[in-house]
Amino acid sequence: MQNALLIGLARQVTLERQMDTIANNVANANTNGFKADRSLFEEYLNSGAREDNFIGSDRRVSYVQDRGTFRDVSQGPMEQTKSPLDVAISGDAYFAVQTAGGERYTRDGKFSMNNVGQLVTSDGNPVLGNAGPITFQPTDHDINIAPDGTVTVLEGSGKADSIRGKIRLVAFDNPQRLEKLGFNLYGTGRATAQADTKSTVQQGFVEKSNVNSVAEMSRMLEVTRAYTQLSTLLQQQSDLHKSAIEKLADVPA
Amino acid sequence: MQALHTAATGMAAQELNVQVISNNIANLRTTGFKKQTAAFQDLIYEHIRRVGAQSSDQGTILPVGVDIGGGVKTVGTPRSMTQGTLSQTGNDLDLAVSGEGFFKILQPDGSYQYTRDGTFQMDNQGRIVTAQGNPVQPTITIPNNASGISVSMQGQVSVTLPGSTSSTIIGQIGVTRFINKAGLQPVGNNQFTETPSSGAPQDGTANSEGYGHITQGSLEQANVDVVSEMSDLIAAQRAYEMNAKVISAADQMMQSTTALFR
Repeated sequence: MQNALLIGLARQVTLERQMDTIANNVANANTNGFKADRSLFEEYLNSGAREDNFIGSDRRVSYVQDRGTFRDVSQGPMEQTKSPLDVAISGDAYFAVQTAGGERYTRDGKFSMNNVGQLVTSDGNPVLGNAGPITFQPTDHDINIAPDGTVTVLEGSGKADSIRGKIRLVAFDNPQRLEKLGFNLYGTGRATAQADTKSTVQQGFVEKSNVNSVAEMSRMLEVTRAYTQLSTLLQQQSDLHKSAIEKLADVPA
Repeated sequence: MQALHTAATGMAAQELNVQVISNNIANLRTTGFKKQTAAFQDLIYEHIRRVGAQSSDQGTILPVGVDIGGGVKTVGTPRSMTQGTLSQTGNDLDLAVSGEGFFKILQPDGSYQYTRDGTFQMDNQGRIVTAQGNPVQPTITIPNNASGISVSMQGQVSVTLPGSTSSTIIGQIGVTRFINKAGLQPVGNNQFTETPSSGAPQDGTANSEGYGHITQGSLEQANVDVVSEMSDLIAAQRAYEMNAKVISAADQMMQSTTALFR
């Protein structure tokens, strides 16, 4: 009889985690370049139910456990900002960013410049081009970023384009293996980086979060309902137990 | 339950987002105002099962992990330094910069501040000053009998003196650039000061070397686009409401647990 309690508990724990994931998605509904997470569950068969006194051989008890959080890597909506340093990727690639801990990847294209003229993320980490960080000169103006990532400017009173570098786009064989590090950054994890050939970038746009709020809300409802249902189930199980103990131990007068 | 804290970070972030948007809307008619947008980042993840970890002795590795995020934080409120539209006023001392550059203003304490607001006036000594009475750099004094003040695209100020048919150049208004103008610190009064992030000020001449040109008789309007601000405001409000819903849902889940075994 304990099995129902334990299975219910296993399910409640996974539901709680699913709720945490939904909460994180909703909290990041306005985070540039954020990719929503989904929970995956799998059946966990425990061999030999100890308190299974039914006829026949031992049955296996089916528990549930969360197998993973699956990332929804679909494209987020593009918002026009008109800011010349905002870049959005159309495609599966990532920007390469130089951090203190090594190279990291991001889809957040809300870039700015630092005091030495380097193109940096909101955190101040340089955005990498094909030949290192992209650096602007003090007299540069009319910054233009081509769909292939080539950054050109007009320098001083010059009329011809000067190239300042080409934003490096990186693709991964399996983006699910990228590790979310927070700060809108991904670590390589077990994925293999390769140069991207298919994606394009768009200047003056930012990729918003791909969180689908309506779907998250309905998923949240599902989770709360399932959780409450399980609580009721646990309650009923406990009541059953209680009445069994009371009845069995009742000394007839 | 983690979801409660996660949603709380979301509510705090959206609250700040609404603050930033409302400040943009409040400054819709502020000359030379540059709008801000709040930028957010996800918080660090709890890796309950690490992606790529070995799941059996045979070397099977997990294709996906269990990563639970902790919410959201504000990383900054970057300023969008795009050009605002110029509106004509016809005032001789209303100046606007089209393109790069700020007017440099001398403060009473001897420091400099920088502004895109070119609503200038003349003080009792004939100097060209801001609305606060601080002189525009380099200080230009207009003779009290002069007429026909004219400011060229390069910032050259010329006047017609009595008894003369041609105009006389009496000075040149300078413009200052920063390598990272978005890194300037706003100090109110439509003015900015330099910071370690903005880089050192580079004084120059308007309409040359990539500096913008000066337009006399015009003012630069705020670069706030009211339609996009309103849609951002609605989005922020909805996001706030959703986070509040998450909190009540998580609360309901906890309640059903605590109600057990009364």
